[in-house]
Amino acid sequence: MSALDATLVAQPLRVDVAASRSIGRRILSHAGRSTEFRIGFALFTLLALAAAFYPELSGIDPLKMNVRARLLPPLFVGETWSWAHPLGTDQIGRDMLVRSLVGLRYSFLIGVASVAVTLLIGCALGTIAGYFGGRTDTVVMRITDAQLSIPMIILAIAVLGVSRPTIPAIILVLGLSNWPVYARVMRSMVMAERGREYVRAAQVSGATHPRIILTLLVPLLVPPLLFTSVLDVARMMIFESTLGFLGLGVQPPTPTFGNIIADGRKYLLNAWWIATMPGVFLCLTLTSINLIGAAFERARNTIHGGA
Amino acid sequence: MFVLSFLTRRLAQGAVIIFLVSLLIFTLLRVVPGDPVRLMAGGMAPEALIEQIATQMGLRDPIPVQFGRYMVRVVQGDLGQSFVRPANGASTGGATFNDTTRGERAKVLDLIFDALPMTLQLAALALLFALVFSSLLGIAAGLHPGGIADKLAFTVSSVFVSLPNFWLGIVLALLLSVKLGWLPAIGYGGFSYTVLPALVLAVELSPVLIRTLSGAVAAQMSESYVAVGHVRGLSPSRIVAAHALRNASVPLLNLLGVQFSSLLGGVIIVEYIFDYPGLGLLTINAVLQRDFPLIQGIAIVTSAIFVLINILVDLAATSIDPRLEY
Repeated sequence: MSALDATLVAQPLRVDVAASRSIGRRILSHAGRSTEFRIGFALFTLLALAAAFYPELSGIDPLKMNVRARLLPPLFVGETWSWAHPLGTDQIGRDMLVRSLVGLRYSFLIGVASVAVTLLIGCALGTIAGYFGGRTDTVVMRITDAQLSIPMIILAIAVLGVSRPTIPAIILVLGLSNWPVYARVMRSMVMAERGREYVRAAQVSGATHPRIILTLLVPLLVPPLLFTSVLDVARMMIFESTLGFLGLGVQPPTPTFGNIIADGRKYLLNAWWIATMPGVFLCLTLTSINLIGAAFERARNTIHGGA
Repeated sequence: MFVLSFLTRRLAQGAVIIFLVSLLIFTLLRVVPGDPVRLMAGGMAPEALIEQIATQMGLRDPIPVQFGRYMVRVVQGDLGQSFVRPANGASTGGATFNDTTRGERAKVLDLIFDALPMTLQLAALALLFALVFSSLLGIAAGLHPGGIADKLAFTVSSVFVSLPNFWLGIVLALLLSVKLGWLPAIGYGGFSYTVLPALVLAVELSPVLIRTLSGAVAAQMSESYVAVGHVRGLSPSRIVAAHALRNASVPLLNLLGVQFSSLLGGVIIVEYIFDYPGLGLLTINAVLQRDFPLIQGIAIVTSAIFVLINILVDLAATSIDPRLEY
């Protein structure tokens, strides 16, 4: 009797455990099983650890000039290479590896911060448009259309070129450039949820609109969106380094990928490594983030398609 | 008849969008710090003269008044004159304020339409490269999901999307132009100068195209009409080429419309790296010289092109797939 009870009770419970985990956890564990996610994650961890610790541990100042060690080639190239500077040095003897890693820090932090701004604006406007509908919806969507039709790089270049490019200004401009995409996705998801029973029940029982949005809709809909935004971090990092390359990003002497490459371009013929090495770093970082992001996106599509 | 009502509706929406774009860019340029008159008159000009020039040009009026005046001219087809560029092509940046050699200032519309064909040539060649490459890879990947081509397409698009265009431009110029001497890189002196910039742009464009195309082909191949086609005795190549690809090209077309602004972003950087005399180089120089009328003109023309391309894309999509509604 008791054994029968146990199986009867245990069976539905076991099913529940698999299905009741949050969507976020399911996407995470699904993505974690794919090869590309593992490669990307390993590469990313390696680069992140290097960027976090190497500049301080090596004790090399990315801004310190050393004229005697100028234009040293990277390892195993030419005759003057040394172990002290694995990626060589630039025209005034600054170590390229440390400069690239410090650049990586700035690039990544700006990328993450601007995606956060994008998510904040996009989700807020999309939720409001989708939840309230009607005229609010029309106005928000027309603004999104208008913003989508301006090539954002022109706007970014115009604003940063005419004013002074500081880090908060760069984050704001990058963040403002991409929100319409999120606003659209969020709007359609909120519109689909708006008519569901649990939302109507909350409305009937007297919950205020902000309360419904913040306690019911946002915790349900935003986490899956976070997985897709990983790809945008990579996009923003490219955008940031492009601005830096044009001289509109973080200003020298702070090293960033963009301004190192722009600088190294002048020495391309006699010291090709100044312009190319930071690019290799940037490219590796972006590949790792893109692999992680693509794995997340696939997992999200499978789970949303299957569930 | 349906086409006509569709066109009027979309053109009206497009006009609203272009208006919003010009309002946005006009206000932004005037709100952010940086005085164009200081650049025009030169660093040595006395403060009083700068104020005098600014007042003459109407730059000290309230922003709504300036915007109204500007829009009235724009509607008449006059985008104004460049602040700093003379009509004869010489640069005046940094000249002294009483320089008598400075000629008539160039018309914004002329500047844009001189540069536009160059950019269109570059963009068309880049699109051609990108389409050929990504259809080969994307269709092969879509026909056998999970196969070798699919894995290859995934890897190639992951790597391509991670290549910053300015860095790729420099590396390709170093390899193909300096080391191997195959292609010319800097400036413009004939069609061959377009190839290298177009290659860089094509690499930037193809990842999205590959992914969309392989997804669309894979989705179409699992439709029932494909299975019925086998039963009807059609050859597999005919099913793919005449039936599946036709349907799979609709998402690709829509994507091309949306991708326009990222193509333009790429054009700006690539033209800057290769010193290619198109719209992108014009934009960068206009911004660096605080040439407000030119920046506004470029923003208006590009958003108009964007609106038109998207209307054309929708028209083409409906003619390919009549089930789509206008």
